[in-house]
Amino acid sequence: MCKEQKYIIQICTGTLCHVMGGAELPALIDYLPKNLKLKVQIKGMVCANYCKDQTKKPPFVLINSELMQEADLEKIINYLQKCENNDTYQ
Amino acid sequence: MNNYFIEIGNKSIQKNGQQVCGDVFMSRKLQEEGRSVAVLSDGLGSGIKANVLATMTASMALNFTVENQPIERSAQSIRNTLPVDKDRKINYATFTILDIEYDGETTILEYGNPQFLVFRAINSLELKDIKESSDSELKKGQFKAQKEDRIILFSDGVSQSGMGRADMPFGWDWEDLKNFISYKLQADPYVSAENLSKIIVNRAYYNDSLKAKDDITCSVIYFREPRNLIICTGPPYKLEKDKTMAQTIDGFNGAKIICGGTTAQIIARELEKDIELDLFLGDGDLPPVSEMEGIDLVTEGILTLGRASDWLEKKKPDEINYASPAGKIIHLFLKNDKITFLVGTRINEAHQDPALPVELEIRRNVVKKLARILDDKYLKEVHIQYI
Repeated sequence: MCKEQKYIIQICTGTLCHVMGGAELPALIDYLPKNLKLKVQIKGMVCANYCKDQTKKPPFVLINSELMQEADLEKIINYLQKCENNDTYQ
Repeated sequence: MNNYFIEIGNKSIQKNGQQVCGDVFMSRKLQEEGRSVAVLSDGLGSGIKANVLATMTASMALNFTVENQPIERSAQSIRNTLPVDKDRKINYATFTILDIEYDGETTILEYGNPQFLVFRAINSLELKDIKESSDSELKKGQFKAQKEDRIILFSDGVSQSGMGRADMPFGWDWEDLKNFISYKLQADPYVSAENLSKIIVNRAYYNDSLKAKDDITCSVIYFREPRNLIICTGPPYKLEKDKTMAQTIDGFNGAKIICGGTTAQIIARELEKDIELDLFLGDGDLPPVSEMEGIDLVTEGILTLGRASDWLEKKKPDEINYASPAGKIIHLFLKNDKITFLVGTRINEAHQDPALPVELEIRRNVVKKLARILDDKYLKEVHIQYI
């Protein structure tokens, strides 16, 4: 297992995700708490057409190929913390 | 059809301590008539007054010439209109009018400015036809331009730069000036009009010890091989056209831009190439650029194009942030002469929601506006092709 890159976060760079708040997401790297900083890799992805599905709301982020809609910094960090906590208890 | 492109570059530095430059350069392309007109005017004195007079002169000269008034008569009208300085008994503004037909036939009319230069490759061309017209102060030149010719116009700020210095008491010596340009052309035979005018003006500025004693202006008109650019944006209306679009861009001879995430994916799929994306290459405001083998630039679509057209309309070339994706597009626009837009017309359903925070315009409208600006303001030859 690669410890450094436990979480791979892919941020959609499509127009819609960008205007709906995705523009701020690359700043995530500055906001990560210490325990997560080295475990997260942030990447961009080209629009994967999640926005064509009317029931889902942008911006979209893939965290280890799990789709998160309406992503914002807080939501991503909370999600990552939850995953971390779960792993610790197991 | 002309086989060369007329590139026009201009650079001015105002007199030390002045807010605006008293030299004015204007140009206009008349696509239907197949000719370009350019005017350089130098107002008497410096500052606002000179600028107003020069602007008046330049726009009059430009419009008279566009209206096909005989070039001598328009000069006469301008000089009759402009007031004569009471003390110095001279007209308020000098001017040089250039009228270039696309077959190369060029007429130059000069009143009061330092003599223009014509460079064929690195040699200054002696124009035999320069005849003093009936009016002694009016000089007229006529020649047939060839590819790789340059016409260089100056205001007296260039020829008189450095005046009073021990090594150049009467300003920049005419022969030295010619040798300087010739040397620069030898070093870089394909230097752009914009850069050559900058080089000359900066040298004159340096002669004046970085405190310009007069407004310094140099305009360069460069006849050269056209450079081609294709910009692909938007998915084709019909799916089966995807292949055509990909092949067009693949087989194009010149610089290539793709604007639009989906468009890039279509072309990558058709040409079996990969898209590399670096999240941190955006400017925070626009989505980042990506990379694809064989393509000079891949950006997001509508936002980036919108920003580029906004900047081209409102900003001067040196105010633009060339690190931004929109700036990168503009850089390629300015570097090339013949720009082909290949526009896919499929509407992006996801952009039509009225609840979206910004106005996401229809691609066709953005492209039309961009094409108009490039044509009018930057004198580019623009073609739009819908697919």
